[in-house]
Amino acid sequence: MNNGNPAALLPLLAFMVVMVGIGLYVRRVQARGFANNFVQQYFIGNHDLSGFVLAMTTVATYSSVSSFVGGPGMAWQIGFGWIYMAVVQVTAIFLVLGIFGKRVAMLSRKFDAVTVVDIIRERFQSDALASMAAFIIVLFFCATMTAQFVGGAKLFAAVTGYSYEMGLLLFGLVVVAYTSIGGFRAVALTDTCCAIMMMVGIVLLLYYVLQAGGGYSNIMASIHANHPEMLEPLSAGHMPAGLYLTQWILVGICTIALPQSVVRGISYKDTKSLHHAMLIGTIVVGFMNIGINFTGILAHGVLTDSLQSYGGVDNIIPKTIVTAMPQALVGFAIIGPLAASISTISGLLIVAASAIIKDVYLHYQQKKGLVPTAGRLRWLSMSVTAVIGIVVFCIALTPPSLIWIINMFAFGGLETAFFWTLLLGLFWRRANKLGAILSMGGGTLAYCLTQGMGLKVMGLHQITIGITVSLLFFLLGSYWGKPQERKVLAKFFPEEQEQQDATVSK
Amino acid sequence: MSEYEKYQQIKREARWTGLALFVLIGFWIFAGFGLADLPGEVLGMPVWAVTSSVGVWFFAILLVKFLTSWVFRDMDLDEGKEAEQHE
Repeated sequence: MNNGNPAALLPLLAFMVVMVGIGLYVRRVQARGFANNFVQQYFIGNHDLSGFVLAMTTVATYSSVSSFVGGPGMAWQIGFGWIYMAVVQVTAIFLVLGIFGKRVAMLSRKFDAVTVVDIIRERFQSDALASMAAFIIVLFFCATMTAQFVGGAKLFAAVTGYSYEMGLLLFGLVVVAYTSIGGFRAVALTDTCCAIMMMVGIVLLLYYVLQAGGGYSNIMASIHANHPEMLEPLSAGHMPAGLYLTQWILVGICTIALPQSVVRGISYKDTKSLHHAMLIGTIVVGFMNIGINFTGILAHGVLTDSLQSYGGVDNIIPKTIVTAMPQALVGFAIIGPLAASISTISGLLIVAASAIIKDVYLHYQQKKGLVPTAGRLRWLSMSVTAVIGIVVFCIALTPPSLIWIINMFAFGGLETAFFWTLLLGLFWRRANKLGAILSMGGGTLAYCLTQGMGLKVMGLHQITIGITVSLLFFLLGSYWGKPQERKVLAKFFPEEQEQQDATVSK
Repeated sequence: MSEYEKYQQIKREARWTGLALFVLIGFWIFAGFGLADLPGEVLGMPVWAVTSSVGVWFFAILLVKFLTSWVFRDMDLDEGKEAEQHE
């Protein structure tokens, strides 16, 4: 396609330059930290995030391109029931930070842990479990990153008129570059910019949708007249009650176990920041989810034909942008969704790289009694990050279809693998190695198999199967196998001083 | 706070956060399905559409505000490690 819109490209280019600039800046500012303790600084930013940045990076990593494209497309089709369902995501930030935030922060300081897998390894004293966790993270993260690349590039092509490949090159290489240059700190800062741009993008699009649709009351009147089912929670059967239930589990409750969210518990400065982040994060995630899906509904004022004529829900938002926005502003409108895409990619990329470097490579070096030099570590960390990014980028060049489902597949798989292992592992003394291995392995397998074969219980999403199987396995293993050693438990579950003295004197 | 007290406090905070989740689920059911048949409109939308979106959002913000001001306590995250080094 040569009929691209150059005006659409400029704002985007400027935004990408700022992102890379942040990466380079962070690298310079952190030069001393990089020299001191490279792994700590590169993969977790050295326990330094403020509440605002912690909130923004958690939200931005959590909100993906599908929340900005597929989601509001569905809202266009289903109506207010879709917002009702999307709003369950207001729980995601305060739950993960409230339940795991301090626990993970204190444990990571105690063990010098940089990754969630580090903590799992310490708790269950199992290399097999840690390797399995690292493998699951890398596998599912790569799937999710591919979906994000594809979603972002498709949107770029649909809106600007330039090719899919060009879009991929433009923002794909940028995100890989700034993530590998600046590490976690760059990810957190760029995420903050991205989250702000997402909110600006929503407001901008909403404004022009209202303009193009002839005003709010006009659009609502037309929805009342032509699509009355959009005003019911069940949307005349388009929105089954079972979907509400599974969404609570899939995008609400179980998201607390997503490693990319939990790892943020290691990164913040002090408990004040954490408390701030819980509040700010809840405000921001609610604003985004309600704002973008509401815009999707109001897009009925812009797109008045049937869904088929637009070629599916994924095309609704791109078509809305092109139809409603003035040519000169199209470039600003797509920064929001692309920011959602790159902020998720960067967050996953740095965690995937840390899984390979810290959880696999460094661990086995340590076991062999080798300490890699700082220079070697720096070179390896950066190249592993870059290589993973480029591999995913290449997969995205020949894109698999149905981005939403791929994304959801990985989402549920990660939740199944980590939910009980983290929740029970960190808060239940009895939780042991056998339970965790059975739960992570068996649950994930059950989830993937049933998802792959399309097997469902009572018509509910397979996450319900995964999470149940994984709990049963966990309990089975924990009561059947032997408990974790006292020495290990004492580090995780401190006992009262008197009790400690009593056991010592015995 | 000793390490033991910190862990007890963290457990307490986690429990309250879980409780807040269930309160929010209750409110969410009430604000959406519960009010679905209520007649009348707010800004051209059915009442339930407003209470179940913006209403749930505001309610969640209030819940978190309650948690962070009444349940959550500030604590030193590093102390455990320092104490170990002193030994």
